[in-house]
Amino acid sequence: MLRVVDVHKSFGGIKALDGVSLEAEEGSITGLIGPNGSGKTTLFNVISGFHPKDAGEIYLKGERIDNLPPDEVARKGLGRTFQISQAPQKMTVLENMLLAPKGQMGEGLWNALFGKKRVLHQERHNVEKALGLLNSVELIDLRNEYAGNLSGGQKKLLALARILMADPEIILLDEPTAGVNPTLIKGLMRLIDELKKEGKTFFFVEHNMKVISDICDKVYVLDFGKKIAEGTPREIQENEEVLEAYLSGSSKKWTQKVGLDS
Amino acid sequence: MTVLQVIINSIIRASELSLIAIGLTLVYDLLKFANFAHTEYAVVGIYLAFIFNVTLGLNIFTAVLLSAIFTGLIALCIDRMIFRRMRDAGRVILMVTSFGLGIALRNAVRAIWGPTPRSYSIALQKPISFLGIRITPVQIWIIVTAVVFMVAFHLLLHKTKLGKAMRASSDNPALAQASGIATERVILWVWFIATSFAAVGGILIALETYLLPHMGFAIIIPVFCATILGGIGNPYGAMLGALALGFAENFGLYLNFGNIINLWGFFDFAGEMHIPTGYRDAISFGMLIVILLTKPAGILGRRG
Amino acid sequence: MIEYLTYLSIMTGIYAILSLSLNLQYGFTGLANFGHVAFFCLGAYTSTLIVVLAKGPFILGLLGGIIAAGLFGWLISIPTANLKEDYWAIVTLAAAEIVRLFFLNEDWIFGKGPYHGGAFGIGGIPRPLQSWFSATTYPFFYLCVVIFFLALTYFVARLLTNSPFGRVLKAMREGDDLPLAMGKDVRKFRMRAMALGGGMGGLAGSLVAHYWSFIDPYQFMPIETFVVWAMVVVGGKGNNIGALVGAVIIQFFYISTRFLKDFIPIDAQVLASLRMVVIGLLIVLVMLFMQEGLLKEKKRVYQG
Repeated sequence: MLRVVDVHKSFGGIKALDGVSLEAEEGSITGLIGPNGSGKTTLFNVISGFHPKDAGEIYLKGERIDNLPPDEVARKGLGRTFQISQAPQKMTVLENMLLAPKGQMGEGLWNALFGKKRVLHQERHNVEKALGLLNSVELIDLRNEYAGNLSGGQKKLLALARILMADPEIILLDEPTAGVNPTLIKGLMRLIDELKKEGKTFFFVEHNMKVISDICDKVYVLDFGKKIAEGTPREIQENEEVLEAYLSGSSKKWTQKVGLDS
Repeated sequence: MTVLQVIINSIIRASELSLIAIGLTLVYDLLKFANFAHTEYAVVGIYLAFIFNVTLGLNIFTAVLLSAIFTGLIALCIDRMIFRRMRDAGRVILMVTSFGLGIALRNAVRAIWGPTPRSYSIALQKPISFLGIRITPVQIWIIVTAVVFMVAFHLLLHKTKLGKAMRASSDNPALAQASGIATERVILWVWFIATSFAAVGGILIALETYLLPHMGFAIIIPVFCATILGGIGNPYGAMLGALALGFAENFGLYLNFGNIINLWGFFDFAGEMHIPTGYRDAISFGMLIVILLTKPAGILGRRG
Repeated sequence: MIEYLTYLSIMTGIYAILSLSLNLQYGFTGLANFGHVAFFCLGAYTSTLIVVLAKGPFILGLLGGIIAAGLFGWLISIPTANLKEDYWAIVTLAAAEIVRLFFLNEDWIFGKGPYHGGAFGIGGIPRPLQSWFSATTYPFFYLCVVIFFLALTYFVARLLTNSPFGRVLKAMREGDDLPLAMGKDVRKFRMRAMALGGGMGGLAGSLVAHYWSFIDPYQFMPIETFVVWAMVVVGGKGNNIGALVGAVIIQFFYISTRFLKDFIPIDAQVLASLRMVVIGLLIVLVMLFMQEGLLKEKKRVYQG
């Protein structure tokens, strides 16, 4: 589904990605972990077209996407969320959801002006779908609330629900559980699992090791822009190098917090 | 007109614009918004100098100094009343606010002094001729004043504590604040310096021409052009930008494009082909648009 | 008295169209267009060109004005798509001035003869169907024409902003990243918003040219942009009715102060300047205390 081949990216003099290669198979759930600053979000940005790469190739379903602008990448079936919620604050939760579906006729001028019936029909369909998704992330009661009034965790849930509205084939999630309450996380995991069964591919950045070990098929570890390990969650947890990376200096507290040193 | 004259004219124009551009770039960089009222502060300064020089009869040098100080003080009041409450506002909101402020300032001046042109009471200017150029004493003073202020600014920036604080706040505002550099104080000083410089720059223009309330608007695009050309936050860039603009405007009107096109060998222009003087403003406007579309970071980029 | 009220209503109607146009661009899409008067200007001149020079019918002039202004909006947004909001504002300001300078300098477009063009303006613009009405009843007819087009513009604006198209525009207000991640071609939407807003502005321009029967470049100074901004900002950005309300309020302010000079011994010039001071301050005050304007943007609430 997604193949990243030897991608390099520098900002000024800093090498954020140094020859990173990885793969996410169709219908799998892949995790990406690493200390802060290891390049995880940069990798997401490069894959989704928000930052141009310096070198390397990126394939989506066998097609090269590395030089495409972000909206084209999205239209090709790759969805992503942002580490810091980018939800338009002055739009309601439901409006946010309705932004996502592709191929909305009402976005074209002609239809917006003259195709009222058709547009309404499509809107109704989208609204139903949106309400359903909002239900599964327990945001249904906030559907008419401005997105700006949501808590951090709620914004994360909105982001997840919203990207699912777009019905992408592969979904890149940037820390989807940060700030979300633990019981809800269980529900999210179940949702993701169900979607996986429907054939969706997930690729996410997480700091919550429990989530990673519970549902990921495969995990990649980044450090200083380099891939330092890959394997099943079990393998990663026992990997010497990974522990090294996390135990060096200030990362130690972090590893204790997420339970990697147990 | 000889080429030397065009060069002199360019330098004069550059001198007039440079101080205003320095002011704009300082505020733009520190407060992160395009201050559309900046050139109106220049107008305020121009007319304050009129009060001191013509209404109160003081000599022009005193008038310039007093006007610069008072303009700076007015800017501080305005910051206190308006912009201080908006430190967190988005750039567009700040921009629109400064827009409104600019209109208010310009028309307040217009309400008081009316739309007829005024002049300072300075001695009648007799041009000095040499080497095929003509220059008046006032024009020489304009260049000298601009240079003096630019040097003073450079010394301020590099030899004083305030200058150090300004540079730090510009390079890394978060760090500066965390290190205890009182950013609010720096902001006040920057407003004072920026607007007093704008006042002086404006007076220089008025000395050479006349006083009119819409002068601020007449130079807003050239000043923005110089600022952006030199890179926002880079006062030296602003000076160079002003220089580039001065030359572009004057040579733009002077050059016979007919000859230039002939050089390419395509056409054969017997006559002259000049940019019509009516389009003089279009030169700076055009330059601005071109820069913004090609290299918005400016030629020099941020101060090194 | 009735005559004056009709004149007022017609002008309010025309400005209301401009207000809706700017609201579409700034209120809904977040585009800080400081050169809005360019649409007004292009609409007026193009319509005049078509009707006066090519002797075309009024409707064709109207269409031409809309298309010319819309095209300008569209073209301007192509190269500037990646500019930050403040740079974009500066560019639009400069572009509008270039448009005005063009019409100021190029008097040859309008040929020789009674239509001088350039700084002298163009007179004798025929009013549509003037022969059908008497001198006293004609203004009512024209008022109906303006109201008709205002209603049309309002409905188009409302339809668009409530549609999925409008939804994308609103998302773009707060940054390009999210709409891009949702697969929306943000550039295309921006160009369309500019073209639509432009077309509306052009419509207003055509209507005004045929009403005044005379246009010159001095009617399209940047101050016109500011006045429309005041309308949008005061009335309520992101709210179409707010745009209308803003137009009425500002116009009302204009009329009520017009008669002030009958009661207070104040010179007309000074009054005009003071009015603008108030407009400028209004913008500042609204930005400081009431950023949403009078009529806040309506929340889209779905039933069921």
